[in-house]
Amino acid sequence: MIKRAFAVLAVALMALVFLGVIGDYVELQALRPLARHYVTEVPAQLGAPNVVTGILISWRGFDTLGEVAVLFMVAASIGLLLKKDSAGGAAAGGRDARPPAGEIVTTGAMVLLPLIFTFGAYVIVNGHLSAGGGFQGGAIVASGVMLMLVASPSATLNTALLGVIESAAGVLYVCLGVLGLVLASGFLDPRFLPKGQFGAFISAGAIPLISALLGVKVGAELSVIIDRFRS
Amino acid sequence: MTTGIPVSTILMITGFGLTLTGLWGMLTHRNIMRIIISFVLMGTGFNIVMVASGYVTGATAPIIDTALGLGEAGARAIDPVPSALVVTAIVIGFSVTAVMLAFAIRLYAAKKTLSIDAFTESKW
Amino acid sequence: MTDLLGSLIILLGAMFLFSAGLGLLRMPDAFTRIQAGTKATTLGNILVLAGLAVHHPGWALKLGLVIGFVLMTNPVSSHALSRAAWLIRTPTAPSTGADALAEHEAGKRMAREPGRDDDGRAAP
Repeated sequence: MIKRAFAVLAVALMALVFLGVIGDYVELQALRPLARHYVTEVPAQLGAPNVVTGILISWRGFDTLGEVAVLFMVAASIGLLLKKDSAGGAAAGGRDARPPAGEIVTTGAMVLLPLIFTFGAYVIVNGHLSAGGGFQGGAIVASGVMLMLVASPSATLNTALLGVIESAAGVLYVCLGVLGLVLASGFLDPRFLPKGQFGAFISAGAIPLISALLGVKVGAELSVIIDRFRS
Repeated sequence: MTTGIPVSTILMITGFGLTLTGLWGMLTHRNIMRIIISFVLMGTGFNIVMVASGYVTGATAPIIDTALGLGEAGARAIDPVPSALVVTAIVIGFSVTAVMLAFAIRLYAAKKTLSIDAFTESKW
Repeated sequence: MTDLLGSLIILLGAMFLFSAGLGLLRMPDAFTRIQAGTKATTLGNILVLAGLAVHHPGWALKLGLVIGFVLMTNPVSSHALSRAAWLIRTPTAPSTGADALAEHEAGKRMAREPGRDDDGRAAP
């Protein structure tokens, strides 16, 4: 009873703070100077129509590098937390006795999996042209992998191969960053490849390459995380 | 499309409402899974608020295509920086949720129950 | 005129989505909750997208494709969820009448191996 009263009090106080924030907020009428600089410079200097992807990969590239590192750390810690051998022999027996998925799920997976993987690949490589990018496409590919695991419970995922793919993609990402340092003007500067024609598929310097590497890394990582949660 | 209240206010009210719902859920439920779901709700609410803080009146998404030409990009695009920060925030939120779920699995394997009342080792 | 019609259809879709949330709260049992969650949200999604297609007739083909994808994926995922819930012997509401899937599985097993018992469920 007293705990419930404290919870009500806490939520009420937070609501007061938030109402104060909303009341004082005036909607922006024009862009702030930094935002205006980004919105005009990304198409001009980088040649990428999607301003958000341009910011994420080039000007705020360190944030993206840190995020990649956090994802890798999380995959490692989940691998540590959910180690299979401590669960004992029940894991091996459980996998054989797992009943097969229903007919609807297997048929649906047969129809949907090519669509999901194609859409994921499309979102990954079109990060610089329209909404999308490495992280979004990688999540879509991982959800396709999850559907595959649900539809065929006895299928195994080659986690060793996925681990190698993920690490290789991460190393290549850092190498591209160092290439930017050597050939262009800073770490993770994608201007060492030609800018190309605005809006074309191969354009905007090294941004499609970095986007594809990020997508592969995130997709492999999330698939490994999802596979660890099985039984 | 004109609205009576500014769009960013509507979005902020929605976002903060979700956050308060998540906070209430985290404080009152005793089942670990519901606490994790409330945490995800809180994170989503805050992401909505962050994106809403970048909205400019009468402007559109910061992607240069047929809807927004090169010349008018400076005048009619919303602030792209909060959107970029929210992309990172969503991924980090997902990672934290995955670690919490792994913890929940280990806790269940240890005590065979999902209620947090059973875990009293850390209480004084 | 199309604006008003589109907005009315979107509002109808939003009401169905709200009723899905209400059903999730009020239904007595895991299986009925899954049913309320899937059917009402799929219909709500379809109505919102159809209202948007009325609003912007140029997008009608793309929105039709999206509706097709939603119709393909939502029922499959809810079927997988409810089948998994049945397999781990989730308790049903007291007012449940018959368990059609149990009888179906028993019939299949009788046809395949006349001597064996119904073994489709995981060991308790």
